[in-house]
Amino acid sequence: METSFALTGKGYVIIAADTTAARSIVKMKVDEDKIKALGPHLLMAYSGEPGDTVQFAEYVERNIRLYQIRNTYSLRPSAAASWVRRSLAESLRSRHPYSVNLLLGGYDTASYDPHLYWIDYLGTISEVPFAAHGYGSYFALSLLDRYHNPEATLEEGLETLKRCIDEVTKRLVVSPGKYKVKVVDKDGVREVEI
Amino acid sequence: MNSLAQRFSNNGPLAQIGKATSLVSEDDDFSDAAWGSEAGFGSVAKGVPTFTVPNVPDPTAFLRLHTDDHADPSCRIKIQHGTTTLAFRFQGGVIVAVDSRATAGSYIASGTVKKVIEINPYLLGTMAGGAADCQYWETYLGMHCRLHELRNKERISVSAASKFLSNLVYSYKGMGLSMGTMICGWDKTGPAIFYVDSDGTRLKGDLFSVGSGSTFAYGVLDQGYRWDLTDAEAQELGRRSIYAAGHRDAFSGNTVNLYHVKEHGWDFIGNYDVNKLHYDGPGDVAGSPGHGYGYDVRTVGLSSANPPAAAASA
Amino acid sequence: MEAISHAGTVLGVLAKDGVVLAAEKKVTGKLLDLSASTQGGYGGSGEKIFLLNTNVIGGVAGLTADANSLVNFCRSAAQRHLLTYNEDIPVELLAQRLCDLKQGYTQYGGLRPFGVSILYAGYDPHYEFQLYHSDPSGNYSGWKATCIGANSGTAQSLLKQEYKDDILVKDAIGLVLRTMSKTMDMEFAVLTLDPTTKTPKAKIYRPHEIDALLLSEGLTKKDEDTEMKSS
Repeated sequence: METSFALTGKGYVIIAADTTAARSIVKMKVDEDKIKALGPHLLMAYSGEPGDTVQFAEYVERNIRLYQIRNTYSLRPSAAASWVRRSLAESLRSRHPYSVNLLLGGYDTASYDPHLYWIDYLGTISEVPFAAHGYGSYFALSLLDRYHNPEATLEEGLETLKRCIDEVTKRLVVSPGKYKVKVVDKDGVREVEI
Repeated sequence: MNSLAQRFSNNGPLAQIGKATSLVSEDDDFSDAAWGSEAGFGSVAKGVPTFTVPNVPDPTAFLRLHTDDHADPSCRIKIQHGTTTLAFRFQGGVIVAVDSRATAGSYIASGTVKKVIEINPYLLGTMAGGAADCQYWETYLGMHCRLHELRNKERISVSAASKFLSNLVYSYKGMGLSMGTMICGWDKTGPAIFYVDSDGTRLKGDLFSVGSGSTFAYGVLDQGYRWDLTDAEAQELGRRSIYAAGHRDAFSGNTVNLYHVKEHGWDFIGNYDVNKLHYDGPGDVAGSPGHGYGYDVRTVGLSSANPPAAAASA
Repeated sequence: MEAISHAGTVLGVLAKDGVVLAAEKKVTGKLLDLSASTQGGYGGSGEKIFLLNTNVIGGVAGLTADANSLVNFCRSAAQRHLLTYNEDIPVELLAQRLCDLKQGYTQYGGLRPFGVSILYAGYDPHYEFQLYHSDPSGNYSGWKATCIGANSGTAQSLLKQEYKDDILVKDAIGLVLRTMSKTMDMEFAVLTLDPTTKTPKAKIYRPHEIDALLLSEGLTKKDEDTEMKSS
């Protein structure tokens, strides 16, 4: 099943999402990137209804790019998250709502701090120090309650992420195989190997 | 020894033998479904036929009509389902930890449930699923463990006790029993844990967690578990894991009950309020971290911001 | 444009740690009911200086009725931004929103443009303190210090002479008051950052606070009062 994690640390947000694209009981693809860079300091992991996910992610991506072109600067993470949430909330009451769950992480260059937002397809938003979507959250959240450190270095943060992935691999029956991990900090977004 | 278990083991055998003999004589009145697997216990009587089913044509349908079921949420009797229990084996014995919340639907029926059933001084059973089913059958198991002792002049092994329970519940399979239990104890082979559930599954293992909050408990438990944990570390891990589930799972919580099984039998370590654990921690006990378990309590004053030196001073 | 050149002067100065805005009051007199600005409200008489949003103060020059309508539009635009983005509208974006509206009225036939120029004194985390000016055609530009309305040319050249980069709010207040010295009946506002919360704090002065300010800057208002009494 689809699983994504994210956690903040000293000056960064790490976002990890599994890379499987499944249809019914079949794995269609094992190297799908489900984390989009929405701006120089903004990342979004998306999961949910196949089709909706990519459509919605691209819609968000382009609107955020449009704002950037119009105003020369990009939206701050909190503003971007609020906009995305509103888009989902409006979609929810439309004829074809997007069924997409998101983790939105960004580094605010104005206030020098990382922000992470947990957003679900109903348009619920919550700013959190760590987050997870999918079945993995049942194992990871208690673990993160115990091990997460807001002042952890990137290495320590990745170590904690590794614990989450290991735990899910160990306990979840339908655990995904591989994960893509991206980091956003003052220097921008980049992919890291774990 | 637990008084409840004692009471059953004292007057149980008499009633048991009486019933068994009467049953043997009128064998054909019972359908095959009502008979337990003999599983090596044929000497007790024929099977374990001391539990009668409701006197209706279809007991399963009868039970479903009156109890909680996914198909019928508007049931009249709701059975306790939410729970977190765990047990693990380590160098120093077995740790058993459980929460104490009983829920009926969204209602918290009780916050002081004893989910560890003290079968005898060497055996503990945990309770998840139907509270009555667990309580009744594990006490009943206690009775048979005592009979085994009297007959064989030695304590029953954890393996045999769990097998008895497993065979017993299997004989009622499909009739609505709901149990997920861990039989924990110390026997000739050392510390042992068996997971037994009402499907008839019986598993031997080092580490189990059962109930709606088990995933949350596993998250903390797996990451902190090592075979060579000290007694204090192991007790703390059990406590911390149940707290995690109590915190994250709506159907678990209230308090933690902690037991430690060693060679001389089990010790009750303590009862801890989950809210207190969150804000203040377990207090002055072995393995205590000295502060609250709560994430916000633990990380108070910490910040993820990393302003450059110039901006920080401004 | 004509209306603006006759309108009461509005003057803005951008400082390092805030923005100062002052406006000459045209509607005045002993019989005017000032209760709205002396007690209640957020300060100011609501003639020329308005709080457009938590982080933006606007000063208007031109047709008052048009101005009221534009202020109302500004406030709605700011709230709309707050609703979608959960943040205060960036100052330039607010100016843009209004200019889009103003521009529209120059383009379509049968409609008269808004006869209003506006100064926006605001703060946002992107560019911190800012001062913008927009004219009836829908053009806008950013300034360190500027002036609109009657005698704006004279005031502008005075500001040019006296303005220094890195000026602080307390000096900017003096500069504004001195530039406005001819006009003693005025509205006055300052936008700074709250030292503890680091959020923008808009202060629109009440009449008695302006009197106190003038007094502390050594510019008394006495002669004006006597003049009024005698007239």
